[in-house]
Amino acid sequence: MNKVKSFFSSLIKKDSTKTVVTSLWCAMLGLILGFFILLIINPSNAAYGMTSVLGNYLIFSNPSDRLNYFGQTLAKTAPLIAMSLSILVSYKAGLFNLGASGQYSIAVLVICLLGAGANWPWYIVMVIAMIAAAIWSALTGLLKAFFNVNEVISGIMLNWIALYLVNGILSNAGESIWDGAHSESVAITSASNSFIPSIGLDKLFAGNSIVGLGMILILIVVIIIFILLKKTTVGYELKATGLNSDAARYAGISKVKSIVIATAVSGALAGLAASLSLQNGFTSWRLSSVPPEIGFQGISSAFLGGLHPIGIIFSSYFIMHITEGGSMITDLGFSPETASIMTSVIIYLSGFVFFIKEVMRKYEIKNELNMLSRNKENKV
Amino acid sequence: MSAVLFLLAFVSILTIVALGGMFSEKSGTVALSLEGCMTFGAFTAGMVMYALPSTVPAGISALIVILVAIVSAGLYSLLLAVACVTFKANQTLVGTALNILATALAVVLIKQITKTEALPVGNSRLSFMRFYEIFNVNFFGMQGVRFNWLILIALVLVPIIYVIIYKTRFGLRLSSCGENPSSADSLGINVNKTRYIGIIISGALAGFGGLFLITMNSEWEFANGATGFGYLALAVLIFGQWKPLYILLGALIFSGFKTLSVFYSSINFLEKLGISSYFYLALPYVVCLIVLIFTSKKNVGPKALGEPYDKGKR
Repeated sequence: MNKVKSFFSSLIKKDSTKTVVTSLWCAMLGLILGFFILLIINPSNAAYGMTSVLGNYLIFSNPSDRLNYFGQTLAKTAPLIAMSLSILVSYKAGLFNLGASGQYSIAVLVICLLGAGANWPWYIVMVIAMIAAAIWSALTGLLKAFFNVNEVISGIMLNWIALYLVNGILSNAGESIWDGAHSESVAITSASNSFIPSIGLDKLFAGNSIVGLGMILILIVVIIIFILLKKTTVGYELKATGLNSDAARYAGISKVKSIVIATAVSGALAGLAASLSLQNGFTSWRLSSVPPEIGFQGISSAFLGGLHPIGIIFSSYFIMHITEGGSMITDLGFSPETASIMTSVIIYLSGFVFFIKEVMRKYEIKNELNMLSRNKENKV
Repeated sequence: MSAVLFLLAFVSILTIVALGGMFSEKSGTVALSLEGCMTFGAFTAGMVMYALPSTVPAGISALIVILVAIVSAGLYSLLLAVACVTFKANQTLVGTALNILATALAVVLIKQITKTEALPVGNSRLSFMRFYEIFNVNFFGMQGVRFNWLILIALVLVPIIYVIIYKTRFGLRLSSCGENPSSADSLGINVNKTRYIGIIISGALAGFGGLFLITMNSEWEFANGATGFGYLALAVLIFGQWKPLYILLGALIFSGFKTLSVFYSSINFLEKLGISSYFYLALPYVVCLIVLIFTSKKNVGPKALGEPYDKGKR
């Protein structure tokens, strides 16, 4: 009995447990606030609206519909996980990757040209897209390392440059790549070589072909990033630079190398996100006047996931779950952006995680001191 | 709108918002939420504009709308202040959250209230809000020059803010909180309070700029927020090296290229070159990046920028 008790108390004291608990709190508060907004907008439908946001595919009564939409949510989670990892890796090196949208855009360009245009095999398209995004992202790193350019600002500038570059090239790219009537890129179909194969996974999800190898790939990538950050010298150097770049330099770690590697890896991950969302056909590039939103969504799930690769899997799923649920409430007189309100409140609140953890720690210390003094009194 | 007017309006908005951001950054908090504050201020002011009965005289309406933009965006930026100053949250994270939140709130509520995607801001009933229509003055004998009083405000703000930052007690204290909060604190300056004030001023000016931004169009679709203007202002602030005069200069350079991207087709020889319009659209950002490369080498920004002040570390 005592063993169980001590196991639980040590579990509670663990830093990761605190992160999970505070993240759950943030998610809860965000949802509650979202519910209030639904109440204000349309009180009679608010309860049902909230159920659809939270339930997502569960609101369908037909089991095959459920499976289909469950598969869709899972498949859309994969690119978000990649995006969050991209934010995570650069954050660990002390950089904030606000340029993820631009890196994503560059990868989209490659995928459209080589995938929809040239019909190259999917893995080659994926790798080239990742390399292109990595190079684009390394620009930020090089600018930071050699010219001391603030990475947030150069990231934002590169987002816009990438946006116009991709818009400019794709919109003049010819019929096989660009659908001028709808001003969006031609989606990659399952018949194409560039389509990420389903390897039979689609049968588990009522034949939804967007579920496929990508989901397994992303889990492997999560593990790779986990190992990279936890067990390798490179990961250690990244984190050391992130924590204190002067101390890291004193220990013989090259700041330039760490920064360039971190930005390149996070760029490659943003490229992977593009590949996972375009190469299974459910997204295409729309002519837009602002950089794609997914770069910012990645920030939310990275932080909600407690900046941990494993946590990111769950937080990404959660965010995609309510985003997809949010897209289902349009017929109830709500905008799909309601989900975006909820996620932004959640990101906002996850800024308080550090503080909440600190409070929890103080509370614990106080408790322990109390216990110690009580034990003393008992002995006397 | 003629190219000159476009240029001037653009310079004014960027200058006002970037000067606002300066107050926040000088006191030590990253002003990433400028975009969100612009969106929020523009949204609330736009809604008031939409709801005001036409019986309210034009001048009073304009005053009300401007006040709403300033106050609401100032209050919105309090969210940043509470999180980043009091609770020491990550400033980039919270700024990003506020940017997304402002856009989402605006889209959802506008759809709900006006039943349209875009908020009409320039229809005939509200023509008083088209600021460049207000002063149809004879400007130094030039007949019928439409003078945008936004430009006037921006031009006046530059020297005023210069004096506030460099010559007043408040301004110097503000800068000291961003440079070395510990020593500022040891001299009896309330660092957190000063940072709160800096952030609120920055939000208020951003809201003011946001209002002017949306009145440039006849309607405004909030799905794209302030279409990245807040980020641009932040870039102008950084390559203006946190100095009012340089900020004005930076805004001028940037706006010049931005104006070019809109009007290049009416310039004969540029049209003949036959370069894609996307090249001109991307040009301001490329120029900005190049300028940043040359100006970032020596770090001139506030030294404690981005670091929450921790009394225990003193």
